[in-house]
Amino acid sequence: MRLFNIWLTFTLRVAQQQFLTVGSGYLFLFGKVLRLVLLFIFLYSILSATRSLAGYTKEQVLLFFFVFNIVDLTVQFLFRGVYIFRSRVVSGDFDLDLIKPLPSFFRPLFGWTDVLDFAILVPLWMFFIYFLTVNGMVTSITNVILFLILLLNSVLVGFAFHLFISAVCVMTTEIDHLTWIYRDLTHMARFPTDIYQRGIQYALTFVIPVIVLVTIPAKALLGILTPQMVLIAFGVSIVFVIFSLKMWNYALSQYTSASS
Amino acid sequence: MSKYIQIGKITLLEYLVYRLNYIFWRVRSVIFFLTLFFFWLAIYKNTTSVFGYSQSQMMAYIIGIAFLRSVVFASRVGDLPGMIRDGTLTKFLIQPVSIFKMMFFRDTADKLLNITFTIVEIVIILAIFKFPFYIPQHTFTYLLFITITFVAVFLGYFLNLFLSLTAFWTEDPWSTRWVFGVIFLEFFGGSYFPIDVLPSWLASIIYLTPFPYLLYFPLKVWTEQLAGFQALQAVGICIIWTVIFYFLSRILWKKGTKNYGAYGG
Repeated sequence: MRLFNIWLTFTLRVAQQQFLTVGSGYLFLFGKVLRLVLLFIFLYSILSATRSLAGYTKEQVLLFFFVFNIVDLTVQFLFRGVYIFRSRVVSGDFDLDLIKPLPSFFRPLFGWTDVLDFAILVPLWMFFIYFLTVNGMVTSITNVILFLILLLNSVLVGFAFHLFISAVCVMTTEIDHLTWIYRDLTHMARFPTDIYQRGIQYALTFVIPVIVLVTIPAKALLGILTPQMVLIAFGVSIVFVIFSLKMWNYALSQYTSASS
Repeated sequence: MSKYIQIGKITLLEYLVYRLNYIFWRVRSVIFFLTLFFFWLAIYKNTTSVFGYSQSQMMAYIIGIAFLRSVVFASRVGDLPGMIRDGTLTKFLIQPVSIFKMMFFRDTADKLLNITFTIVEIVIILAIFKFPFYIPQHTFTYLLFITITFVAVFLGYFLNLFLSLTAFWTEDPWSTRWVFGVIFLEFFGGSYFPIDVLPSWLASIIYLTPFPYLLYFPLKVWTEQLAGFQALQAVGICIIWTVIFYFLSRILWKKGTKNYGAYGG
């Protein structure tokens, strides 16, 4: 609860900062919405003509697209702090974070919550629920519960990813492109990942678990997930979280605070 | 002229200093390309034509995206808003250099490096995946493609310059650049998908903007979906947009430098 209150205080401050230049905040919001809408229209148009993609119907492909956006926006909303972490390490401000009675990764990861993503996330969830209802895609409550659990699992994988990137930042002070590579890879899951070759699918499951992030929760909702895939999803996230925490601790042990 | 060539050389050397960053940037380009490639490959699994594009035409479009992003989109003009906001611009104002020429040569160096890497990447991908790739049937198409691409390079440059120069008046120049210089440029330019796959009402609106002339129309020329008069018309409109943005950026530069406070410089 204490950490939640601190996070809320951080978030309110960031929101004030983001809307300091109101026009700029609205422009960013407009850009994000426009990108989402244009991609949706594109997918809708293409699938209206072809009817299916990799064996999935138009509605199923759009469901993958929605789940991707929900996961992507949630992860960006929560862990946007990583994008400005480099400047804190380079300027030495990270030292000030380390002496505070907070988990060492709290400020780097949760210190810059993107409220603009949240502003899109709420209507997106509402439209997603409407989309599922209209198309009769909720076939059982078990699928919904499994989907929500796997969605939380995705956030955990997202946390592990960003922690790993932060650890690399502490050691090398170079993360800008690494963060974007992560984002580009997750964008591969905008479409059902079955379109990729087998080798790429393995890499997207075990090396950079994009499939765990997006495809598995979406398949759970569609009721086409095998028990093995559920186990793989939880197994991969546990391994990733442990690995990232160890990596973070190692990075901190190497931190020399040279900039401050 | 030699000082601008030196500036171009220095830009290339800067990339050699931050090699890892540049490699990561290329990795990103390849991931972007592969995502589009596999998506369209899956689309053509059960059909031979989508929105009037054969598979070989669509694959040519995808490869064209990778290539033209390096030729037209690759740019260092995006550094300009930062220079205006942090005052770095001041030192260039008192030096005997033209910002327009300096930025153009920096852009050219950036493009040359990106084109080299893109060609190597495309050749490797073509060799691995061996997919049909549309080759124009008429010699005139090559001439038209080179012409429209050449004009598109200048249109891209002046459009970018125009957007960057708005930093003289905006508190936060990044939002303007992100919306118009990234979202509009990428989507309306046709670098995610051909614009004519969108509903016709939306495509008609996009055609009224300068963005499709950067990438979409050159690739329509390459795939020979625009022939004869239509292709020449596209080249003509592209030239008109280039002239408009040339004058707009000159006006913005003149007014902007008068407005410039050199904060932090």
